[in-house]
Amino acid sequence: MRCKKSEKYLLRSFDDRLSREEKDRLNTHLKKCPLCQERYREYQSMLQTLRSDDFPEPKPYFWERLQPRLKEERRYGPWPLWKLWGIRTIPVSLLLIAALTVTALFFLPAQQEELSQSGILLRNQNPFEESLPLLAEEGIENPNMMLIFTSLSETSSSRRYIP
Amino acid sequence: MDEKELIRQAAEGSEEAFAVLVKKYRTKMFNLAYSMIRNRETADDIAQDVFIKAYIYISKFKYKSSFGTWLYRIAVNTVKDYLRKASRINKISFDERLASPDIQEDEVVIKEEELEAKRRKKLLHRAIQALPEKHRTILTLRDIQGISYKEITGILNISPGTVDSRLYRARRMLRKKVACLPSQKGGSHEM
Repeated sequence: MRCKKSEKYLLRSFDDRLSREEKDRLNTHLKKCPLCQERYREYQSMLQTLRSDDFPEPKPYFWERLQPRLKEERRYGPWPLWKLWGIRTIPVSLLLIAALTVTALFFLPAQQEELSQSGILLRNQNPFEESLPLLAEEGIENPNMMLIFTSLSETSSSRRYIP
Repeated sequence: MDEKELIRQAAEGSEEAFAVLVKKYRTKMFNLAYSMIRNRETADDIAQDVFIKAYIYISKFKYKSSFGTWLYRIAVNTVKDYLRKASRINKISFDERLASPDIQEDEVVIKEEELEAKRRKKLLHRAIQALPEKHRTILTLRDIQGISYKEITGILNISPGTVDSRLYRARRMLRKKVACLPSQKGGSHEM
């Protein structure tokens, strides 16, 4: 028998849970193993100390102190199961709502807001904001066009000012 | 009046019947709480809480186990709840607790041997308190309270095989912890 197995048997022997055969095997091992003999003494001393434990008395007037508490409990009675679970679900549902709100704020794409003319003016925004880039592009062509039309209306070939 | 009748009457609201049950089991509940917590005040509070819970739910007791086993189950769960809350508030390591000068050797009149036995008992209980909760519970039930294997399976709702293996591990862990204590003669040998 190995020492580990012997330790198992040894501990069972303290609870009287060994068969006759197991007892014999343990005793044979203990006779030739000083280490297990030492273990046996250690466990024996440890369990004896534990089993000889002395307890103080409960505090006096146990029932007299308990009785008013019982009366109070009887007045309110036990909470029904649905109430208990209902209370437990409050923090969970609050957390769930918070998580959903955060998800909606950060992960859902923001919708384009279509504002009316008055809405734009109330917000003090430029109503032509969207068309400004288009006008800027046309702005390159406009000076050229102006030059062309000016030249057409010109009667003299001289560009000098004639009062 | 037999216990079954007392339980039936208590379930119907008889305070007298419940008082008889309290008188019968109060010391057992107190001792269980005391052996796990080692504080008289707290153990007393826990014993009271056990009976309040029992009073509330006695109508739900189905006689599947003995009333004592049912009460022990409530007591174990109440102590576990208390220990969980206490460990969150006060996290002191085992070594710190051993180092604290808590052992009062003021009883000079007691013989040296008795003092040594007392000191050893205190250290042993501290070592138990440093064990994981499930090991502490099973050691308390079996080795301090002397409750049978069969009843332990009912209290903890585990199989006899689990009781056996858990108790083996708990005792082994305790021996190793005790062997490390300074008061112990000699060192520890690993198997």
